[in-house]
Amino acid sequence: MILRCENLGWRVRRKEIVSNASLTLNEGEMLGLIGPNGSGKSTLLRMLAGVRYPSTGRVYLGGTPMPELRQREIAQTLALVEQHADTEERITVREAVELGRTPFLSVLQPWSQDDEAIVVDAIAAVDLHGFENRNWHTLSGGERQRVQIARALAQQPQVLLLDEPTNHLDIKHQLAILQLVKELPITKVVALHDLNQAMICDRICVMHAGRIEALGVPAEILTETRLMNTFGVCGHFMTDPFDGSPVIRFHRAHRMD
Amino acid sequence: MITTDRKSSRSAYRNLWKWAVIAPPLLFFALVAGTAMGETSIPMDVVLKVLANKIFGAAYPVDRIDAGIIWSYRLARAVVAACCGAGLALSGVVLQALLRNSLADPYLLGISAGASTGAVAVAIIGLGGGLISMSAGAFVGALLAFAFVAMLASLAGGGTGLRAAGVIVLAGIAGSQLFNALTAFLIAKSANAEQARGIMFWLMGNLSGVRWADTITVVPAALFGLLVCIFNIRALDAFTFGSDSAASLGIAVKRVQFGLIAVAALMTAAMVSITGSIGFVGLVIPHAMRLVVGTRHRALLPASALAGAIFLIMADIIARIVIPGQVLPIGVVTALVGAPVFALILIGRRAAV
Repeated sequence: MILRCENLGWRVRRKEIVSNASLTLNEGEMLGLIGPNGSGKSTLLRMLAGVRYPSTGRVYLGGTPMPELRQREIAQTLALVEQHADTEERITVREAVELGRTPFLSVLQPWSQDDEAIVVDAIAAVDLHGFENRNWHTLSGGERQRVQIARALAQQPQVLLLDEPTNHLDIKHQLAILQLVKELPITKVVALHDLNQAMICDRICVMHAGRIEALGVPAEILTETRLMNTFGVCGHFMTDPFDGSPVIRFHRAHRMD
Repeated sequence: MITTDRKSSRSAYRNLWKWAVIAPPLLFFALVAGTAMGETSIPMDVVLKVLANKIFGAAYPVDRIDAGIIWSYRLARAVVAACCGAGLALSGVVLQALLRNSLADPYLLGISAGASTGAVAVAIIGLGGGLISMSAGAFVGALLAFAFVAMLASLAGGGTGLRAAGVIVLAGIAGSQLFNALTAFLIAKSANAEQARGIMFWLMGNLSGVRWADTITVVPAALFGLLVCIFNIRALDAFTFGSDSAASLGIAVKRVQFGLIAVAALMTAAMVSITGSIGFVGLVIPHAMRLVVGTRHRALLPASALAGAIFLIMADIIARIVIPGQVLPIGVVTALVGAPVFALILIGRRAAV
């Protein structure tokens, strides 16, 4: 029971963005967080990451309520990959990944061989070897996303939270990133928009209007009724003749006639 | 290839200590230059002899008037200029990192204007009944101005995005205008013509009349600011991708933001209470140093402090010699040098991105 939340809620000016969200992650699983735009995925993810403080409810990390942990202790266990991470600063790939060691280094503690090895490994894990001295602003969207993941991996987290990591990427990089995340031997929560991609998750959590609507294995959760009720689309399930896995084909729910 | 990369990265962390070796001689040279150059040039060897006499008790024979000019007037002035330059540059680095805004600067965000109002309130209308110093007044004014600007920015749509970056600059302009107007109001209401002229001259940034007594304010302010910044090098780096990213890297965001912005305001306030508001140092020096040493704060902080110190000593020399028989407000010099440099940086940056 590495990460769990109870009755989590967040509201802005009396508007409920997330309400009553309870969730327990299984160790080592990949949980897909899906839902229409504005359903509260990002907010829930940020509360789980400890960067937003919930209006109600609590997040438990390794059994301890998050408010009782120091921000630094949280960051030593849990890492977050944001959706629109960007910077104006001219920072190299290596420098960006080195940031991941921040929670482990005290004020004037020197950079160690271990830190260096971890950074080198993290860069290698996302296949950015040879990019170390490239400037952030010269990278493509996919490369930037991989840098962010490498930065998170340099935290050596037990839990990795990713907010739409495949957004704005070409299809090759989408698949590469998802495969990379899937194979990490840690607990992962991934907010996703592509429901076909969500099928590779161990479990799926469906959010709608700030509430957790369903939670379970993809085959049980993604039904034609749910696609219609939650996402407002018709979906037909087909079988991939290549590997036998289910594929969803979508249609608009309403005709405009 | 990997091994050389590793070496360069490790030595980058060691570079912090190299500054302790690089900075003192450069600073010393700048101070001596600042002392030697002026309306009447004094040869370097005389300057060094006077310094040796005063500091090490040597007994070189020197002209007593020269000694007086060097020690009581020019050296004190150069030391204050160095501290102000370092403090303002550090404030700029801190504000730019925490607000993630390359235009953040104590002058643009209205902190200098607020400090001026506070200082003027104490100096002219005698706020606090003589119990609080001009520096304290300036500090309160600086914090009030920043609180006002921050509140305005958050009401107008906070967050850390690109829009928020524009919003806080606009809020800073509003804050500057408001506090400058308050200052003008205080002067018009309470000061006589003579006082008003002196204050207006002081507000433009002025090192005339600076004496050793003033170093009691600026030297500790600059050193304290530098120390606090150095202790927060990693935290400042962690804000590279925004405050949420910093939080996910284990930074207590609110505490660091509040603490460091208070220190930046404190430094600015201390400097403004002695010299009036000097613009563009906090903006131009960090930008220029980013081009030279990169964006990581382990190099950027010491480089900016050093460059700011040297820049302001040089600006003061120019202010003293450019018009014979008259001393220009130093704020005029920094703006005349800083504005075009800033324009070049803006254009260059656009071409680079």
